[in-house]
Amino acid sequence: MKNYMKLVNFEFNRIAKLFAVLLGVTFVIQIVGVIVQSRYYLNMANEIMYEGMLSKSQFLENYDKISFSQIMNSMWFLGSIWFCVAAVVFYIFIIWYRDWIGKNTFIYRLLMLPTTRLNILFAKITTILIMTLGVVAIQLIMLPIETLLMKAIVPKEFIRDISVNEIVTIMPEFSFIIPNSPIELVLIYGAGVLAVSILFTAILMERSFKWKGILGGLIYSAVAVGLMISPLLINEFFLNGFFYKIEMFVLEIIMGFLVLAGSIWTCRFLLMKKITV
Amino acid sequence: MKKYWKFTAIIIVIVLSIGTFYVNASTSAEQSPTFHINALSGDEKEITPLIMKGYYIDISSMNIGNSNLAISAKGTTYQSNSFLDQFVGNPPTVIKRLQEKNRTFMRGKNYSEDLFFENKQLLAYADVESSPVKSRNYKFDISVLTKEDDTINSFKLDVPEGKEMDYLLVEDVQINEDKLYLITHNFISNSGKQYEEKHIYTIDLSTKKMIDHEAIIQFSRRQKHTTIDVQLVRTSLTKTSEHLILLKTENKVSENMESTSDEVVIQEISSYNIQTKEKETINIPGLHLGGNRLSFFDDSTIYFMMLDGQNLLVTPYLLGDDTVGQPYNIQLSGEKGTVSEPITIVKDGKLYIASSQMNADINADVIVADAYTGKTLFKGQVAVDGSSKDNENFDLSLFDLFVK
Amino acid sequence: MIEVKSVEKKYGRKKILKDVSFTANKGEITCLIGINGVGKTTILNAIMALTPINKGQILIDGEPLTKNSFEKITFIPDTITMLPHMKIAEAMEFMNDFYTCWNQERANELLGFFRLDPKDRIASLSKGNTAKVNLLLGLALDVDYVLMDEPFSGIDMFSREDIANVFTSHLIENRGVIITTHEVGDIEHLIDKVVLLDDGKVTKEFSAEEARENEGKSVIDVMREVYQR
Repeated sequence: MKNYMKLVNFEFNRIAKLFAVLLGVTFVIQIVGVIVQSRYYLNMANEIMYEGMLSKSQFLENYDKISFSQIMNSMWFLGSIWFCVAAVVFYIFIIWYRDWIGKNTFIYRLLMLPTTRLNILFAKITTILIMTLGVVAIQLIMLPIETLLMKAIVPKEFIRDISVNEIVTIMPEFSFIIPNSPIELVLIYGAGVLAVSILFTAILMERSFKWKGILGGLIYSAVAVGLMISPLLINEFFLNGFFYKIEMFVLEIIMGFLVLAGSIWTCRFLLMKKITV
Repeated sequence: MKKYWKFTAIIIVIVLSIGTFYVNASTSAEQSPTFHINALSGDEKEITPLIMKGYYIDISSMNIGNSNLAISAKGTTYQSNSFLDQFVGNPPTVIKRLQEKNRTFMRGKNYSEDLFFENKQLLAYADVESSPVKSRNYKFDISVLTKEDDTINSFKLDVPEGKEMDYLLVEDVQINEDKLYLITHNFISNSGKQYEEKHIYTIDLSTKKMIDHEAIIQFSRRQKHTTIDVQLVRTSLTKTSEHLILLKTENKVSENMESTSDEVVIQEISSYNIQTKEKETINIPGLHLGGNRLSFFDDSTIYFMMLDGQNLLVTPYLLGDDTVGQPYNIQLSGEKGTVSEPITIVKDGKLYIASSQMNADINADVIVADAYTGKTLFKGQVAVDGSSKDNENFDLSLFDLFVK
Repeated sequence: MIEVKSVEKKYGRKKILKDVSFTANKGEITCLIGINGVGKTTILNAIMALTPINKGQILIDGEPLTKNSFEKITFIPDTITMLPHMKIAEAMEFMNDFYTCWNQERANELLGFFRLDPKDRIASLSKGNTAKVNLLLGLALDVDYVLMDEPFSGIDMFSREDIANVFTSHLIENRGVIITTHEVGDIEHLIDKVVLLDDGKVTKEFSAEEARENEGKSVIDVMREVYQR
């Protein structure tokens, strides 16, 4: 456990700088987005008022106020969020390959640590999870700051005020990464951990068996996904919907744990018996 | 400890940020207003079994979240739309009630109310099963629950002449003594001929055999310049019906250069006696069917309803002796000249009416009347609960009534 | 004692190791000698469970390798096993963090011996100094066995001398060492035992001292006999 924590800390420190840069870039892009979109709205409002000889109140009666969700619907926000998602997904692969590739062969050191090799796997999964939650957490902190910035640019009467919680409910991208209730959060990120563990198994297969491992990894992933959806398919096509949805839900969770256990067991086997530096 | 600071910092940020988010979420939830039924006259007990299903939209906010709600005498409940609730499932109210009472029996049953029949002794279900491999291989999947001893009698029967059908749908299930009646809509295509029919199958429950089956009505949907449709007027699943009521509509299709338009030419109502297999056309002098909404809920009576200005004109028709009852009016409150089309349901001799829309300008009525005489037993209006009155930019639509 | 018993290793269809067996004792320097590509590194990797073997068995003091064995045996590969952006001090801290057998006193001694500055980043070091750091990280562990892969290859003369001096010092005393090399010259006088490898097999396993005393042959003489046959 102690070694696991040390490894997690070590893995996180390895990426911390780049991670901070990623978040910083995201923040800058979003700030620019807020400024550009707010200005754009103000210009449009001024133009309409000028051309239509409208007073402020007339304008507000006939046209929409600006709200933060409008700003968020721009490429500035969607782009930066997808950029973060892509970066984290990319790192799922890099977090392993960086130990093999290049001049340093840090994998020697990792595999020779006097601790169970599974801790390496757990530390890497945990690091990915922390990064993902970190992106979400920092984004949640950025939102009120950006809202303040919008309020500084656009006069109050043009703004329809919405809270951070409302923003998050409106945007489908957001309601997925930070769902409505903590239980869903656990479910979504639990599923995320499961997916990462499957990918890690595939990566370790490649590391152990090279070309054959790629094939093995693909087959393993397909089998894992197949197992996950098998209760749904069996219930639908062979049992004629025998199980109620709530029962299916429980079955899926059990299946999720089984697949997770299978992945961890396979990883353990590969790390102990088959891995090659 | 110094080397742990980055890790500690990110963990603290995650916990605080996401924690704050959920604390805010739980305190700011339930912002949607609640509604109650405000009694104006009559006996409030009349609305205790009534549940109105609707949809709430706050126009002023951009929150397009799902706001399905149910209003009853007890108040308002919003259908929660969380991820978890989607897993638990949200079947229609009738089905939900059946599931709660008969958990084992309801396994693997489709959610359509038409497929069920219930009385004090029995709960029956019938659907069509088609083979995923062989085409045109249809079977009736029938289960009957005897409530007293909790036994389930389930069996399958081949659909007679199923090879000639493109597909078929079960539209009604009835039980009378030991016989189960299935009323289906069949789409038949057989050696180049294509037509549809309403069909009745009689099944003996004790022997699990099909005794008899016959077509009630046959028709071709598409003809030159006209289209024909025949609808079975649905009944509540708890009703034992002696009669089936069929509504046949003939539309004239006129095609212009740019558009096609439909015009109802003929509407014909006929009744079919399940026991005697007699079919007769119902002819009510002086009653224009056009624009009439026909509701058949009571085994012996058909109610024709028509909106005339602010009045809902109801004409009961007694099937038993083929007589037209006394038509009556029920006045709806329409303000600023707008009356929304009401939604209605008849149960146990009572007519329940509710407006389909409510907002700051339109009031929504809730009326309970004696279905046969039209005597108003309860009159009320949907009202926003005090605390959430300030918002005027909302729209409440009601789309379904359910009487327990 | 490290026992390598009938180890077989395939890469694809090609057998790199065919039935390799030898032992290495504590307190002795055992040298694996063979031309490049003969599988010397593979043997060391296999001992450390860094690569799977197809057949055979490897025992350390009579037991197969477990995670606790890494407090008893260490491996110094021919590449640095730390992240290049780390400072030497950070690398030592990492080792101290994970190994209970890390001996900081000895590490400091080695730092002085190799004239290394702990504030230097590994990436900025010369090849010779990088090799020294690598050696330092391995030798500062209080382990019974040290495996070294080609510690002298591609390194300047003075660094070689420094490293060779380590072998005669108390830093190596009482440990079991397995060292691989393809040119025996530099260390001939240091080694106790020689294992000659060719074509995936052990062609000869002999004690250097015995060869000298009994037959009056140097290690190179024995090698010449074996390879020229």
